[in-house]
Amino acid sequence: MHLPEIDKFAHLKSPLHSWDPRVKIISISILILSIVLLKDPRVAFLGLALAIILVFLSKIPFSFVFVHLRWVLFFVLALFVILSLTVPGNLLMRLSFLSISREGVKLSLLISLRAISAVLLIFPMIGTTRFNLSLKALQKIKIPDRLIELLMFTYRYIFVFLDEEKRIFMAANSRGWVRKTNLFTLKTMGNLVGMLLVRSFERTERIRDAMVSRGYSGRLKTLDNLTLCWNDFFKAALVIAGAIMLSLSGWMG
Amino acid sequence: MHISDGVLSAPVWMAGYAAAAGIIAASIKKIKVDNMPKVAVMTSAFFVASLIRVPLGPTSVHLVLNGLVGIILGPAAFISIFVGLVLQAFLFQHGGITTIGINAIMMGTPALLAYKIFNLRNKFNFKRCEFIFGALAGGSGVFFGTGILALALVTTGSEFVGVAKYAVLAHLPMMIIEGIMTGFIASYLMKVKPEILGRR
Repeated sequence: MHLPEIDKFAHLKSPLHSWDPRVKIISISILILSIVLLKDPRVAFLGLALAIILVFLSKIPFSFVFVHLRWVLFFVLALFVILSLTVPGNLLMRLSFLSISREGVKLSLLISLRAISAVLLIFPMIGTTRFNLSLKALQKIKIPDRLIELLMFTYRYIFVFLDEEKRIFMAANSRGWVRKTNLFTLKTMGNLVGMLLVRSFERTERIRDAMVSRGYSGRLKTLDNLTLCWNDFFKAALVIAGAIMLSLSGWMG
Repeated sequence: MHISDGVLSAPVWMAGYAAAAGIIAASIKKIKVDNMPKVAVMTSAFFVASLIRVPLGPTSVHLVLNGLVGIILGPAAFISIFVGLVLQAFLFQHGGITTIGINAIMMGTPALLAYKIFNLRNKFNFKRCEFIFGALAGGSGVFFGTGILALALVTTGSEFVGVAKYAVLAHLPMMIIEGIMTGFIASYLMKVKPEILGRR
């Protein structure tokens, strides 16, 4: 199982790493939006190319990116199969009783391109900044404090939770428990998950008490200062120009 | 039970975001500061749930736990699920960015309903009360979620009617497993730490 460490490569140096996270998050979101709204598979290929270029510029290793693409690829594959068989239209190919339609393949191609490009862009957007700095950037963009706090705590607890979950199931397995399709397995798993929850509640309450006693007031405070310079806006202009070009070539057909 | 980027038409996912923002704005005040650890734990449980696999014959299904989040957090469940989905999209690339809103509606509103269903147990008093109502709440979490999923797909275009049918079929076994699991978790919590489940 891989841990969801999106900021594993935040220490590298690249044009995307040095980009101010506020401007970066906003401009790449605009690019994602423009790609998701595309209607022509050929233009969507351009969008995918742009996304790959940004990942390349960010110097995040492609092997790391591919591991994370698993879910999307799985989803896209399932969609390809279902859509090419169920969407009515011109016949592209016939395999015994199955008929594959041209429209179905075209639609699933478009969806796959949009989905993969959007996911790829997450890496240059979030993967090039330490997660706490990204949260600070969100705070500056005026996302409510409560949401930021929840994001921060949850991010912290995910690792704790995964750790604890592994230990509990390992303990059960080492006592000879095997997962099978029966009520006993469900009952055992229910009890284990319940225990996991009780333990985590007690643990997080202690963590929070410790934080409060050190002066935590519910607002994220870091020593990092975000500063804007002309370079940040230049990069933003480039990315947004790319987004506009994509939308325009989509309209022109 | 996630919709990825690029599937839904723009009006559908934009409506999803608008509705999610509305529900968040209405319920954000309901999270008390002291409640934060509880909400954060349930959010990470929801995040991790998709990694917990339950065997089902030759294959396995994963848990959703939106019903359980509803049972434990009540009105704060929607925000918890929204934040869980944001993190799943950005850390796991599970789901999509543009579809966070509609996914939150899909799993969060059934969670609010699950809370109401589970609270009905106060009107009854028999031995396996928590199990029965927990199972009902958990099962309906997936059931109504699947309904909203199918609705979102069908309103996007008639091409997706086929996909919607397969999605509903695939979620039926998940609904049963989820229901039974939620029932067991609820009765365990009732025995060990009943204050988590709130007043009775």
